[in-house]
Amino acid sequence: MQPIIKVKNLTHIYTDGQNNKIKALDDINLAIMPGEFVAIIGTNGSGKSTLARHFNALLQPTEGKCFVNGLDISVDENIWHVRQNIGMVFQNPDNQIVASIVEEDVAFGPENIGIPHAEIRPRVEAALASVNMTEYAKHAPHLLSGGQKQRIAIAGVLALLPQCIVFDEPTAMLDPRGRKDIVKIVQNLNKEKHITIVYITHKMEEAILADRVIAMEKGKIVMEGTPAEVFGQVKKIHELGLEAPLSAEVAEALRQAGYELSRDIITDEELATALCQ
Amino acid sequence: MLADITLGQYYPGTSFVHKLDPRTKILATMSFIIAVFLAVSATSYAVLVAFVLSVIFLARLPVLLVVKSIKPLWIIIVLTMGIHLLTGQGEVIWSWKFISVTKEGLSMGVMMSLRLVLLLMISSILTFTTSPIVLTDGIEYLLKPFKRVGVPAHELAMMMTIALRFIPTLLEETDRIMKAQMARGAEFKGGNIIARAKGMLPILIPLFISAFRRADELAVAMESRCYHGGEGRTSMHELVYRHRDLLAALAMVVLIVIIGVLKWSNGLCVI
Ligand SMILES: Nc1ncnc2c1ncn2[C@@H]1O[C@H](COP(=O)(O)OP(=O)(O)OP(=O)(O)O)[C@@H](O)[C@H]1O
Ligand SMILES: [Mg+2]
Repeated sequence: MQPIIKVKNLTHIYTDGQNNKIKALDDINLAIMPGEFVAIIGTNGSGKSTLARHFNALLQPTEGKCFVNGLDISVDENIWHVRQNIGMVFQNPDNQIVASIVEEDVAFGPENIGIPHAEIRPRVEAALASVNMTEYAKHAPHLLSGGQKQRIAIAGVLALLPQCIVFDEPTAMLDPRGRKDIVKIVQNLNKEKHITIVYITHKMEEAILADRVIAMEKGKIVMEGTPAEVFGQVKKIHELGLEAPLSAEVAEALRQAGYELSRDIITDEELATALCQ
Repeated sequence: MLADITLGQYYPGTSFVHKLDPRTKILATMSFIIAVFLAVSATSYAVLVAFVLSVIFLARLPVLLVVKSIKPLWIIIVLTMGIHLLTGQGEVIWSWKFISVTKEGLSMGVMMSLRLVLLLMISSILTFTTSPIVLTDGIEYLLKPFKRVGVPAHELAMMMTIALRFIPTLLEETDRIMKAQMARGAEFKGGNIIARAKGMLPILIPLFISAFRRADELAVAMESRCYHGGEGRTSMHELVYRHRDLLAALAMVVLIVIIGVLKWSNGLCVI
């Protein structure tokens, strides 16, 4: 099977106002397969957002290549295919909503790619239904809660019928309830609509829901594997300046204290089951 | 349509006027403005007032709502009236000490302020009966022919859309910044103009910084959703002229003809 996103020896160097060069990505190699749910973790400034922005051609590689469905993102003719198939949802829900009526905003993407007038409304309705926001179609976005706004942002991306959605810390600005809603929607999109998910997060409780976790440090991929494989190495996670999920931390502390516990305990249930044995 | 009420001054409804195509309404408003400038006699003003009242009635708008729309400019209206009253030449009908009011001054004053009132009322009827989004669509469409001479029709419409979206957000933010600065002991009331202007700086600077950050993020988000200007763009709303638009256009033609006949048959021409 062809990977939906393939990154080869990707390096990205920013030049800031004072002409300083910042190497944000350093020789990255990565392939993401259709239907996968990949989480990317890493401390601030490790290059997660920079990597994600190559996936839909918002940034171009300084060196190396990035392919979407086998098409090079550096070729101008491919950009619209890439942007339509790889959607992006950002951290601040306020700053990605364009129109003053919810349904108008969801229609923005399809309008941009010239979908005929008659096909736009069905797309908008379907997109709003998948994020449970149908009843808010005529509302003004600024009156919605953060979680609801983020759901509108997701609907706006869904209306383009993407194969993959990249989420860049979508829950960072939300309250616990909004966060739960978004996580649930993301899981549904992956499980039911088979949309490939790339999910950048600082919340390890969210990262363990993925099929694969990628940890970054200083522009490099330093750990990669299933959530159990990655978070089982609690020491290494700490060295990266990150924290493992609470259950993995507790299990590690118990192991240090001499208890025999498996290394793949990462969820509360797994910890509870192990402790009851 | 509850949410619409908070945006601009749209007054939702399903009347004949509400259902007209936005382009018809914009063009009709423009022709009414022309009619107002053609009107010279008391009769023609009576026709215009009757026209506005029947539009209000057709749109099922509360008369008071439309009358209130002249509030922002009432000082100018009163001033216009006053200046014409006091400076008019001709037959004196009332005088006190050095002040005298002439018949011509009175009629000019009434006409001029009535002109302003009519202009304000007709343009607010347009915004009361058309949702801002639809209005934007209409403006974009009507400006399209002027693209060739360099009018950025799509860009103007996009600017309006974004302004409508972000004005409430920025207002909320202003409020929040003001409260935060007040909690730190900032004073926004009292003092002379300079002191007050200085007092605004702690609000304006964070507001500008945040607005620029928002603009930056919004631009990236728009691009990631395939935005690339107006080229090849479609719209969810299709603008179509219907029978009622023809009716409205006829009504406007009739109005202009009446006003025109009243003007040139009198032979008397003011302005
Ligand atoms: N536009 C830019 N110009 C210059 N340097 C930048 C720019 N954007 C990011 N950087 C730098 O590139 C590096 C990687 O940034 P990036 O935003 O990709 O990190 P991140 O992992 O997403 O961090 P966070 O968790 O804070 O979002 C950082 O050192 C950052 O300062
Ligand atoms: Mg980031």
